[in-house]
Amino acid sequence: MKELEKTKRISIAAVLSILIVLIALLNYQRPKYLYTQNTSKTLTKLLQTDYLVTTDDMNGNGTELIDVRNPFDFEKGHIEGAVNVYAPELLSDKHADFLERIKKENKTVLIYGQDPDQALSVFMSLCQLGIGEPRILSTRNFFEKDQLITESVAVEKEAPNVSLFIETSVKNASKIQNASQAKKTVKKTPQPKQVSPVKKKKKKVPEGGC
Amino acid sequence: MINRNLAKVLSFRYKILALVLILIAGSLVFLPKYAKHEGIDPESALANAISPERYISADELAHKIIGQDPSILIIDLREIERFEAYSIPGAINIPLAKILEEEGKTYLEQDAYEIILYSEENFYADQAWMLCNRIGYNNLRVLEGGMNSWFNSVINPPVPTDQMPATAFDLYSFRKSASMYFGVGYAEAIQEVKEAPKPKAKPKQVVPVKKKKKKVPEGGC
Repeated sequence: MKELEKTKRISIAAVLSILIVLIALLNYQRPKYLYTQNTSKTLTKLLQTDYLVTTDDMNGNGTELIDVRNPFDFEKGHIEGAVNVYAPELLSDKHADFLERIKKENKTVLIYGQDPDQALSVFMSLCQLGIGEPRILSTRNFFEKDQLITESVAVEKEAPNVSLFIETSVKNASKIQNASQAKKTVKKTPQPKQVSPVKKKKKKVPEGGC
Repeated sequence: MINRNLAKVLSFRYKILALVLILIAGSLVFLPKYAKHEGIDPESALANAISPERYISADELAHKIIGQDPSILIIDLREIERFEAYSIPGAINIPLAKILEEEGKTYLEQDAYEIILYSEENFYADQAWMLCNRIGYNNLRVLEGGMNSWFNSVINPPVPTDQMPATAFDLYSFRKSASMYFGVGYAEAIQEVKEAPKPKAKPKQVVPVKKKKKKVPEGGC
């Protein structure tokens, strides 16, 4: 009798544990995209700044050119050989095969948008996910008379010397202030108080009389 | 004899098995964390990176500084030489290379302040923002256009032309007074002040001089 109870308990426990394992397996979903670079590794990569390329470096075989602008702008005009991957759709199913291929062949990917800032979000994603060798094309792309114009721009160009500007502006201002003050003092002298000359009439001794 | 001993050992077998399982489960705790996959998932990181919500304009920032907003903390991501040459008043220098080190962490990993990152433009500041966003730091903003836009809109605002709408003039007058707050001198501002009272100057005082009626000479006999 005792032995029977024991086996009962054991079989119940076994069934339960098998159930739990099954449920866990069914619920397990491998995330589609996993980071392969942690943040500090990504940062060291970013600090090298060799990921910024110009249009001269573009003519390489085995590179992919990605346009991250919206499909409308892409249709209107794009750099030859570019593939449109609208930035918000990068990790959607639409481009899964494309990214898979790049990852397999470890291709160099040139990314461009309206400006380097727009390309940055896609670049950072690819960089941290370890998909290919992403590069940013440091160009500005805009339309002029319905023609796409690609223009090289410098990223993070230094701001003008602000403290120098402030100093000179203060100097200039004080110079002009001094000059105008000098004028003021000159002006003061010819402008005496306006005294309305009310001539006092001398009291005339009443005329007449004998 | 042998059978009895065996039976004794075998009666413990479930306990031993259970113990082994517990030990294995316990060892999971000591596994190293999967370091590569830190932070939020790539999909939401991308969505956050695309959203322009993080940007704050130079005008807004100037407004906050002038209003002495106690909740902001400005962080300069440029190199130390550039930081020493000029920085936005109240800014702290943490070069981009050091944001993930302890020094940067103490400032960036907290909820009390609204942190505003800036660099020369917003490219490096965006990169820093994206990394910090991945680790899950909150309340981070980026100065749109960085130092260049700070200079071009707050320190040295463009003068609106006559065709521009009235809002452009309002904006200009705000920016101009903001730049004066940050130490820029204006020649014309001083002149304006001087010119201003002039039209107010009292109109010529006309003192009515009453003409005295010529009196007919008095007297006579």
